[in-house]
Amino acid sequence: MHKILVWDWPVRIGHWMLVGAFALAWLSSESEAWRLVHACAGGTMAGVVIFRLFWGVVGTRHARFASFVRGPGAALAYVRGLATDSPPHVVGHNPAGGWAILALLGLTLLSAASGWFVYQDAGGTWAEDLHEGLSSMLLGMVLLHVAGVLLGSLAHRENLVHAMFSGFKQGPAHAAIATARPLPVLVLLGCAVLCAWWFAQ
Amino acid sequence: MKGTAIILLVLGTPLVQAATPGEILASYRAEATRVSPGYRPSVAQGAHLYGRQFGVSEKMPACSGCHTARPSQPGRHVVTDKAIKPLAPTANAERFTDPAKVEKWFRRNCTEVVGRECSAAEKADFMTFVMEGR
Ligand code: HEC
Ligand code: HEM
Repeated sequence: MHKILVWDWPVRIGHWMLVGAFALAWLSSESEAWRLVHACAGGTMAGVVIFRLFWGVVGTRHARFASFVRGPGAALAYVRGLATDSPPHVVGHNPAGGWAILALLGLTLLSAASGWFVYQDAGGTWAEDLHEGLSSMLLGMVLLHVAGVLLGSLAHRENLVHAMFSGFKQGPAHAAIATARPLPVLVLLGCAVLCAWWFAQ
Repeated sequence: MKGTAIILLVLGTPLVQAATPGEILASYRAEATRVSPGYRPSVAQGAHLYGRQFGVSEKMPACSGCHTARPSQPGRHVVTDKAIKPLAPTANAERFTDPAKVEKWFRRNCTEVVGRECSAAEKADFMTFVMEGR
């Protein structure tokens, strides 16, 4: 086992942008004075997720959906394995985490889309309630996700949160990604800014 | 996929309790009378609340800032600059027909503009003024 590069820059920057924007959106959700900020935060999240969908196809090895989306059986087996003495170690996202990621990305898009309708005053109370419901589901999913990350960190005695900052995890040398791909971060930022701007129109 | 869609639909379907502005006003009035017997809704008090510059929030000092000086006119959001449909039921039949929505927006807007939630009497006064359709 070595210390190897696993998460590229777009994955890491995108992740912490989601966390920041989600916190901002949540804190500003009850206020008209902060409504513009709220719409921009939601737009930023949508932009990051749209980029992430694209990056999940053309990104580095562990960022690709093909590398971490597994069937429900694999996810269950992984969770069961966590309770044993030798929990299965995965270098990229584990099969259970993969499902959480899909749910987070999907709920973020749906929540942002419903929010756009509310902001355009184009869905009435129906859209307001849908947006609130989806956002609460997203919050629930985030809490589950963070719990999963902490559980995984304990089970493998590896600080996964730190890895989401540094990009490095423990793993065999052949599983490392070759470069951290800093340049596509510009595309990520462009996508986020464009969506944030567009959402606030 | 189908399951998710159904869950979303169920979650998204508002429990619409249709009501008339008169019924909603009556329930605020009843609540206000319970607190202070002899209470009567006042157009003047409502107009005062509607137009008063509270100055609690720098960005949104008064209800009339977004809903304009006249409830029958379309409003404009002072922060986002987006259009707001008229508040007066005479100009916009959707107004004050969903108790949950009315309560939600009184809570949100009073908290920020007035700096606290509005009392039942204030809501009844406000509605009485707005329903005049000036
Ligand atoms: C920053 C702009 C803004 C200010 C200031 C503001 N409102 Fe509103 N108000 C809105 C928006 C936006 C809505 C919801 C969108 C819609 O229904 O058109 C709304 C909706 C309402 C509704 C819902 C009515 C219904 O049945 O649809 C009520 C009641 C209301 N406001 C009362 C008030 C009161 C009382 C004040 C002052 C204490 C106030 N508003 C100040 C923006 C504002
Ligand atoms: C708004 C809240 C959050 C959202 C929407 C979110 C979303 C995501 C997504 C989409 C991924 C996949 C990353 C990728 O491959 O691009 C991920 C992974 C990860 N997240 Fe979050 N996240 C949130 C909050 C948090 C918080 C608060 C923490 C830390 C305490 C955290 C820690 C992690 C870690 C460590 C991973 C990598 C998991 C692994 O090792 O497989 N997340 N998150």
